[in-house]
Amino acid sequence: MNWALNLLLLLFLVTTAAVAIRLRDLLAVAIVFSAYSLMMAILWTQLRAPDLALTEAAVGAGVTTVLFVLTIFKTTRRED
Amino acid sequence: MRKAAVLGALLIIGAMLLFAIGKMPAMNSRNAPDKTHVIPRYLEKGEEEGGAKNIVTGVILNYRGYDTMGEVTVIFSALCAVVALLDREKRGLSRSSPDASGVRSSVIVRTVVRFAFPVIVFFAVAYMMLHGEGSPGGGFQGGAILGASVIVFTLAFGLPESTRRMPLKVRIPLESTAIVGFLAMGIIGLAYGVNFLTYLLPGVHGAMAQTVRNLMMTVIEVGIGIGGGVIFISIVFAMMREDKYELQPDVPQP
Amino acid sequence: MNFSRMFHNLNYVVSALLFLMGLYTVVVKPNLIKKLIGLNIMETSVFLFIVSIGMVEGGEAPIVAEGVKSSQMVNPIPQALILTGIVVAVSTTAVALSLCLKIHERYGTLNAAEILGRGEP
Repeated sequence: MNWALNLLLLLFLVTTAAVAIRLRDLLAVAIVFSAYSLMMAILWTQLRAPDLALTEAAVGAGVTTVLFVLTIFKTTRRED
Repeated sequence: MRKAAVLGALLIIGAMLLFAIGKMPAMNSRNAPDKTHVIPRYLEKGEEEGGAKNIVTGVILNYRGYDTMGEVTVIFSALCAVVALLDREKRGLSRSSPDASGVRSSVIVRTVVRFAFPVIVFFAVAYMMLHGEGSPGGGFQGGAILGASVIVFTLAFGLPESTRRMPLKVRIPLESTAIVGFLAMGIIGLAYGVNFLTYLLPGVHGAMAQTVRNLMMTVIEVGIGIGGGVIFISIVFAMMREDKYELQPDVPQP
Repeated sequence: MNFSRMFHNLNYVVSALLFLMGLYTVVVKPNLIKKLIGLNIMETSVFLFIVSIGMVEGGEAPIVAEGVKSSQMVNPIPQALILTGIVVAVSTTAVALSLCLKIHERYGTLNAAEILGRGEP
């Protein structure tokens, strides 16, 4: 495990999570959450879990984001 | 006032979590309690007992088979709940608002998806499901990628095209393959008088036993993969369709 | 509190932080989709915590291959558990979002405070 890459990924995770919580445009929140999941997938490869990385990249960054975007598209985009 | 109370509560929970983390054994240590009891045996004998070079697959399909059965039940229940809330789509007639607007996605998107789609499906089926015991991959991973590939196709070509290619009467039997395949392979062991999900059946020896075991694991992997993937596809189709854009069967399609 | 050990266990600290951020979102934000994002962040933080427990220094992925000794491999049990967890997480998210669609159809809003205050429409 490369500690510098690990540190960078953890920082990126916290940043994207904070941005996803702060933003008020829900579509942007869904996209930022997709970036969060992708960082999590890279972190799984650092933790020697290739199965988890594959699943997270397909499910977390792919399917979950599509479900969120579909719901936001059919309801409201603004958080109020 | 309410926000201050919430922040105070979070501060207390955070202090408790940090206190607990301070008491935990150092990360990366080989002597931590979780790696000293059953794990050495799983790592040494996993290939022999679980039947897979990928020990995670061995754990999922053998040592912790009941967990996996629960997981398959959960995704099937999720599909049932979504379908009960939102209803199924009608073949070639259900549309989402982008389909109803009549604007097609750009030619770049459609061409890229047309070339990438078969490659992604091949990757999901051949590399993930069929080769899942020797390399990273397995049923759920392959199913997720399979589902994602069809979702990409739907986003590029629209819901009517997708539901025409994958009609309901094909998907309904496939959705249950995961749970039926898993239970069937588990119950074979019970019928022989040994444990649930035993691949080494009594009365089968030598090379034949290996063949039977590989066959059973492949059936489970492909069953979970296809079933899981089709369940994801059905959930997305149900969430995509909109009642107000539904075409009527007797009205000629534009 | 021992800070050098805290730094060594950085993954644990970050997962605790992410858990708190998710919990804050679920409790404070009124929008139902925002609450679900918070719930997903909480879930992934727990996944990160459990997989980090299984990591060993200089470990290899738990796949039997030439030149990899079984004593070098990381713990496979957390990975198998979390693989189940990821699939369950997306299933619950799908059901929750379907409920959001139905709620929006009936009440015309996804703001939990408004829905609770309004009662039966």
